Formats: sequence, C-alpha cells, structure tokens
Amino acid sequence: MTEKVKFKWNGKEIEADKGSNLLKAALDNGIEVAHYCYHAGLSVAGVCRMCMVEQDGVPRPFPACNASCGEGIVVRNDTPKIKSSIEATLSFHLLNHPLDCPVCDQAGECGLQDYYMKHGQYDSQMVDKKVHKDKVQDIGRNVMLDAERCILCSRCTRFTEEVTKTHELGILNRGDHAEITVNEKLKNNYAQNLVDICPVGALTSKDFRFKQRVWFLEEVQTTCIGCETGCSVKVSENKNGAFRVKPSYDHEVNGHWMCDDGRNIYKHVSGALRLFGAQENLNGLFVPVDEFKTHQLAKGKTLKFILSTGLTNQEYEKFFEKIKGKSAQVALYVLPNQGEDFDGLLTRGDKNPNLRGARKAFEDAGYDSSQNALDKLLSSVSSNDAIFVVVPEIIYNEDHFNTLISKVEKAGLKIALTHGETLSTLRAFDFLLPIPTFVEKNGDIINFQNKKRALRSGISYGETSKDVSYYAGWVNL
Amino acid sequence: MKDSANYKDYALLSYHHIPGVHNLEIFERAGGYETMKACFDKDPEAIKEEVKQSGLRGRGGAGFSTGVKWGFFTKDRSAIKYLLCNADESEPGTFKDRYLVEKNPHILIEGMIISAWALGTQKGYIYIRGEFYHQAMILEKAIKEAYANGYLGKNILGKGFDFDLYVHRGAGAYICGEETGMISSLEGKKGQPKLKPPFPAIKGYRGLPTMVNNVESLAAIPWIMKFGANAYKQWGTEKSPGTKLFSISGDVNKPGVIEVPLSTTLKEIIEVHCGGVRNGNKLKAVIPGGSSAPIFNAEDSLIVKMDYEDVAAKGSMLGSGAIIVLDETRNMGEVLKWTLEFYHHESCGQCTPCREGTGWMEKILKRKEIGVAKKSDIELLDKTAASMRGQTICALADAAAMPTQGMIKVFRNELEQYVTTVAKK
Ligand SMILES: Cc1cc2nc3c(=O)[nH]c(=O)nc-3n(C[C@H](O)[C@H](O)[C@H](O)COP(=O)(O)O)c2cc1C
Ligand code: SF4
Ligand code: SF4
Ligand code: SF4
Ligand code: FES
Repeated sequence: MTEKVKFKWNGKEIEADKGSNLLKAALDNGIEVAHYCYHAGLSVAGVCRMCMVEQDGVPRPFPACNASCGEGIVVRNDTPKIKSSIEATLSFHLLNHPLDCPVCDQAGECGLQDYYMKHGQYDSQMVDKKVHKDKVQDIGRNVMLDAERCILCSRCTRFTEEVTKTHELGILNRGDHAEITVNEKLKNNYAQNLVDICPVGALTSKDFRFKQRVWFLEEVQTTCIGCETGCSVKVSENKNGAFRVKPSYDHEVNGHWMCDDGRNIYKHVSGALRLFGAQENLNGLFVPVDEFKTHQLAKGKTLKFILSTGLTNQEYEKFFEKIKGKSAQVALYVLPNQGEDFDGLLTRGDKNPNLRGARKAFEDAGYDSSQNALDKLLSSVSSNDAIFVVVPEIIYNEDHFNTLISKVEKAGLKIALTHGETLSTLRAFDFLLPIPTFVEKNGDIINFQNKKRALRSGISYGETSKDVSYYAGWVNL
Repeated sequence: MKDSANYKDYALLSYHHIPGVHNLEIFERAGGYETMKACFDKDPEAIKEEVKQSGLRGRGGAGFSTGVKWGFFTKDRSAIKYLLCNADESEPGTFKDRYLVEKNPHILIEGMIISAWALGTQKGYIYIRGEFYHQAMILEKAIKEAYANGYLGKNILGKGFDFDLYVHRGAGAYICGEETGMISSLEGKKGQPKLKPPFPAIKGYRGLPTMVNNVESLAAIPWIMKFGANAYKQWGTEKSPGTKLFSISGDVNKPGVIEVPLSTTLKEIIEVHCGGVRNGNKLKAVIPGGSSAPIFNAEDSLIVKMDYEDVAAKGSMLGSGAIIVLDETRNMGEVLKWTLEFYHHESCGQCTPCREGTGWMEKILKRKEIGVAKKSDIELLDKTAASMRGQTICALADAAAMPTQGMIKVFRNELEQYVTTVAKK
C-alpha cells in the first residue's frame, strides 16, 4: 500500500497517495482546474501554465501539474493573484486563436471554450493581425489538423513519442510561429486517440467531423468487442444510432487509450444493412417475412446451433438453460487469429471478445466448445436439420467464416442469427433472424486477462428483445 | 625569466596583456596551471568551501552563489556527472565571455579542471555560442595542448582523476544560454528549457547530475584558489565581493570589456574607463545589465554603484554586466522596439504566456504600422508585460517583460509619443 497524505486545495481537504501528481489528485477529487497540457497518460510538459497554484511557505507560484502531493501542504488557485494570472494566460491562449467555434467540431467539448466562458471574456481590443497557419491538413489515419486552432500544448507530440513511439509529429519553429509539423503521415493504429487528447479543435476526426454536434449525443459506458483485449470504451449515440467510440480510462485493461480498429466497432449498429425483423431468402433476395413462418418450418427438425464468441455470459447461460434436457446440438465458432498476436500496446490477434466466457458456459452446461465438436456437428448436417448460425458481429476474416457457411449447406433449414445482412455469402441461408448488437444488451464478457467487463445497452436501434436464447426456445417445439 | 601575471589588480584579466598567452607554454610561463596542480593536493570539499567563502556569485546573470550551488551537487565521486560551461553569451550587449576566452582560453580550462576535481565530474562541455567560431577554434587548440600536457584525459598528473573536456558549438539560439535549454540542445534535442524541478544539479544532461557555470564564474576559480577567499573579498561589498567583467557598448568613446571591483560606480566606468559619452553628448539613459535589465535614466545612472544590491535597489539588475549607454540622440521607442523584436524572435515557444506575449508586445508597439495605434497602447503593453512575469518555465518571459515595464516607467511620455507618431514618408 502506498502511503497516503492529506493536504488542502482551496480549503478542501484531499487525501491522495504521497508523491502523486498534485493536479491529478485535485482533478480526481472533483476540483475543477483549468489545464491544457497535462494528461495523466503522458509525461508532464508544464507549458500551458493554466494550472498555476500558490502554496503556503513557497515564495513563487508554480504549476500543479509539476508538483506532488505532500502531507499537510496548503495550496490555492483561487487567490486574486492566481485568478488574474490564469485569466491573463487564458487570453494569451486566445490571442492567435481563430475563435471559429460556430464551425468547429470541438465546440461543446473544447477546453478553450469551456474556460473562457467561465474565466472572462475574450478581449475585443485585439486589433492586431493574428498569425496565420495552415487550417486544413490531412495528416493521415483519418485525422485532420487545423494549425490555427492549435494551442501547442504538445499532448499530441508527446503521444506519438511516448505512447506509440512512432514520432510522426513534432513542433517546428519557435515563439508564436511554432506549429505542429508532420514529419510523416500518421502511421500508427492509435491515431484517433490524438483527436481525443487534443484539448481544442485542432485535431479532429475525418470520420466524425461535422456529423453530429456533440450536445445531441449521449455516452454509454461499455466494452470494446474488437478483440480479446476488451478495452473499456464509451459509445456516443442518440436515437439515430451510434456515432463514435472513445476509450474510457481503465487502469487494469487499456489505461487511457484504445486502438483505431476498435473505433470502428459501432458502424454496423446503425448501418444501412441493419436487420430489423425476420427476412426470408427469395431467390437470393431477402424480403421481410413473419417470423412465425420460420418457426413453423423448424418444427420437427433436429435443431443445431453454432454460437459465436461475441455473446455475453448471461446470454450463453440463458441459452443453455433453454435447451436443457432437449435434444439440440451446440458448437462454438471461434474467429481465427488476425495479424500479430500482440502489437505491444493493446491490440491482440485473437479477435474473440468472449472466448473465455463461451468456453466456461459450454463446460458448465456439459457441452463441448472445441473445434472437434464443431467439426463433428458440421459433418453430421443433413436435410433433417434446422441449423442456426450466430453470425459474429465483427468478422475480420470473411473467407474463414464463408468456409463455415459452406459446410452447413446440406441442412434442411438454414437460419442466420445476425444483426444484418453483412456478407454476400449470407445468401446461403434461408432466413435471417435479428439479434441485438453489443450496445443493445446488458451483460458481461471475459477478456484475455480473465477479467470481467460489462457490455451496456444504450440505444434500441435494432432488435433488442430477441436474443439467442429466444430462438433456443424453439427447441421446445 | 617568467612573465608575471599582473595579479595585483585583476582576478580575470591578469594575463591579458601578455602577448600570445593563449598558448599553453606562455600561459604557464606566467604562472598558469600552477594553482591547478596545487589543487590536486587539496581535498575537493575544501575547494568547494573556499569558493563558498569567497562569496563568488554566478556571472551568467542570476548572481546566485557559486559555492552554495556547488553544495547542492552530489558528493558521490563515483556517480557519473557533468560540468557544463555556459559560453553561449547571447544577451544583447554582453561580450565579456567572448573576450575572456579569445585572449586567454587556458584560464577557463584551468578553472574547469579545478572545478571538475572539486565536484568530481568526469566529463565537461564548453557550450559555446554558434557565432563564436573563431573562439571555439581557440578553445579547441588550447584543449589539445592541455591534453598533451596531461592536464586533461585519464589519470591527470598521476592523481587517478579522469576529466575529459569537449567544445560544443550552439547554433545561434539565445535560449540555449538558459541552462536547461542548453542541456536539451546538448542532448541533441530542440533547444527548449526543461521544467524545474528537477534542477540540473540533480537531474541534468542525460538525466544525470550536471553543474552549469558561466565562463566568467569558472575563470575566477584559479585566482580564488591561489590567493584565497579573503583576498577575493578585498574587492566589492560584503554581498557582492570580487571583481567583475563589464562589457560596455553604445554611446561612449571607448567601448569594450573592463574588469573592475564590484561596486565601482557607473559614473566612473563611463567617464574614466570608457572616456565619457561620445561627442560630448548628454547622457540619456543606461541599461546596466544586458537587454533584460530595466533601464536607468541619466540621474540614476550617475549615482548607481555596480554591485548586485545597489543596482537592484534602484530597480534594475546587474545581470551579465552588459552596460549599454544611450545618449540624448536616442529614441527610446526604437530601443524598446529592438528589444521586443529580439525576445519575440528568441522565445522558444513552449510556454503560452511567453510564446504569445513576446509576439503580442511587439505588435502592440508597432500598431502604428497598421494604423490603429493609441496612446493607451502603452498601458496595455505594461499590463501585458506584467502578466508574463513569474509564469513560465524559464526566465525569458521575465527577461522580455522587465525591460518593457522598466522603459515604460522611466520614459512613458516618450513612448506614448513614439507609438502614435507615424513617420512621414
Ligand atoms: C533566457 C536566458 C538566457 C541565458 N543566457 C545565458 C548565457 O548566455 N550565458 C550564461 O552564462 N548564462 C545564461 N543564462 C543563465 C543560465 O541559465 C545559468 O543560470 C547560468 O549559466 C549559471 O551559471 P552561473 O551560476 O555561473 O551564473 C541565461 C538564462 C536565461 C533565462
Ligand atoms: S494539435 Fe492539439 S494536442 Fe497537438 S499541440 Fe496542438 S492543441 Fe495540443
Ligand atoms: S485493442 Fe481490441 S479491445 Fe481494445 S480498442 Fe482495440 S480492438 Fe478494441
Ligand atoms: S519562458 Fe519562453 S523561452 Fe522560456 S521556456 Fe517558456 S516559452 Fe521557452
Ligand atoms: S496543465 Fe499544468 S502547465 Fe499545463
């Protein structure tokens, strides 16, 4: 256990780890402190000078981000002296800033806008010419740079230096001519984090740009299903669907970051191919159908299920409960590894979000989750069977999955349980039945560390009430 | 027969009258390197103590006690650590280190070897301003001679002490004279000051303990060790003991570098040492400590004593000892304009108040160029300068703000007139 100390910030007593970052301790304790350059996931730069504090017994103000918590220290940033210096520093930040908030994507979650609304108004006396810089630069990996909006906090350069160690960004020139320079286009798979950490609208995402004003969105705390790492994330969404995924700090799994692949996991949720109800394959064309028809056709058939590794523990459990004592066959389709086993930061080659949970549920229910069991099930497929294939939400290797589909051809009734008509090969199925996506259900998954992480439902865009266990209920027929 | 150094009057320039003293052989004939040899028989701690007792204050500008600073340095002799000589000398008006090194490189090298022995540093660098190419070559040659004589390198004079010394040329950035900016530059990075704490004495070059001292500070060490702290204190005041180099430029008849006891009056320096104001003109103002020092009007200039306390008491600072004399023909608006242009150009751009403030101050002063100048701009300039002070990583922001506020305090009317007068074309 690290030693704890107590100190006072603006009169409020705070307890924190001895020697831990003073600014962080204040922020963690709900104190609002203006800060642009400090980021808990990066080294301390101390350049924005917004977090200045005074400490009893220390002659000069200093930035809290470069200080540590000590027993009994008394610090303040609400003295007239500090308040006026913070206001002055804020106006220095705004001096060469274009203040184009009405057309800026960051509006609503911009550090500058937040603070200048609070700390005083923009000095309209500014008659001098602003320093002009390049406003539209595509710096690669879906990231756009507006150099005029940049406040040179250096978070982005520290990120590419310290986190990805790919060194694409730097700061060129000095004084008020300093600007972010792109040594080479972004080439790392974590580039979207730059958009998150940029405190202003200088780095924006091409993908999200101008799509939605942030104040129309709600954030749902959940877990990424992009790979077995299981990063904690927030999905921004509203009734029109999901719009972006951002990392959410998770000390044990992903810290502050997530990979760019994970940023795309929401796209199918409200995508054009999303399935809203049962569909029947009429000569290669899927048309809406009453689910009852499928139900009737399945009657009297041997039911076989191939589950995916993307269901929650609770879904597996309910599923197996439903088929308990019934003669249904069940096997598990495991996604093949994709890319390197581990990129050194977060991304893993094993793309199965809940392989561990699936295996455990199979075992607990007395079923075999091995490849052998799957092969056995596939080799026994006959015209007497109604086969249900749960289509993984994200398929990295389509060929591999198509091979699976080709092996169920002989079944009398082929049903895909899916969120949408995502692959052309799904035409091999007779029916598509809808299931919820990862943001439309509550439950747990187990990541590569055997840690439990939650999936949380935020929106009900597509099918949300009928999950895999609902269809398992048909076994009773 | 030995040439003898004129030690009686000078601690620093005592060899300067000897022709060819930049050659090791001539320097030695005049008594050079004797103190170094004697010091190897002294306890390093005793050397540090002697320097502390002498009251020598850092000559790089801040005037912090050299001995006290040395006291913060680790006593672990086996730990890897560095001695860094600051020869970046880029403050407008300052050219004393250049003069010292150019004429007598060996006094610096001798001072560095003694300091290295006292501090236990195994490696040293002389970081020299990029424009001082000629001086860098002189140093290189002198270092070669010192190696050849066994004063540098492995097992110096058989005492089991190793010290290697290198010259590193800067690329012409003022900010690389700030000690942590210098360390960044030496590390191969962009010349940007580092956050303090940690201070270089604890974590400096390559994250290891590093002692940074100015050329003039290090060059004073041999004298102090030869004649002792008490002898050094014969000059100057209690708080400003010793002699100091002053580089005098501007409107005097004989500009140049002189060595005088601290607390010599500015009047004596101008009238006796520099032959008075040029053309018999009237003195208007003096910048007493380099471009960052607030300006004195003629009245204060004629009564101030050039020591750390008296200059400070009159609202300025001794700084690097660069005296810039301005006569009645000078326009203070122009002086401030050049000053602001300099700091705008030299701000490294890390800290917001400095990056934005230095540029803005220049723009405010030049508003007449875009036809929007008002008398009240001077007030805005004063306010802007004030809000830059004490807010940044290094003292460059203060170095830009102080002379601005100083100039406004003394010459407000003239400045108000300057900003609102559009030159006729
Ligand atoms: C902007 C700036 C420029 C500086 N330039 C120089 C310089 O050119 N030479 C120098 O010796 N010190 C310079 N200094 C002071 C150094 O940071 C440092 O205090 C000094 O080298 C320490 O040596 P001393 O203790 O012997 O004075 C500068 C400081 C600042 C803030
Ligand atoms: S682009 Fe954004 S993150 Fe990078 S330095 Fe500028 S403001 Fe900071
Ligand atoms: S590392 Fe895996 S879990 Fe984390 S964001 Fe990327 S794809 Fe998602
Ligand atoms: S005060 Fe100015 S020169 Fe010094 S570190 Fe900050 S920006 Fe750079
Ligand atoms: S957050 Fe502390 S200086 Fe920027």
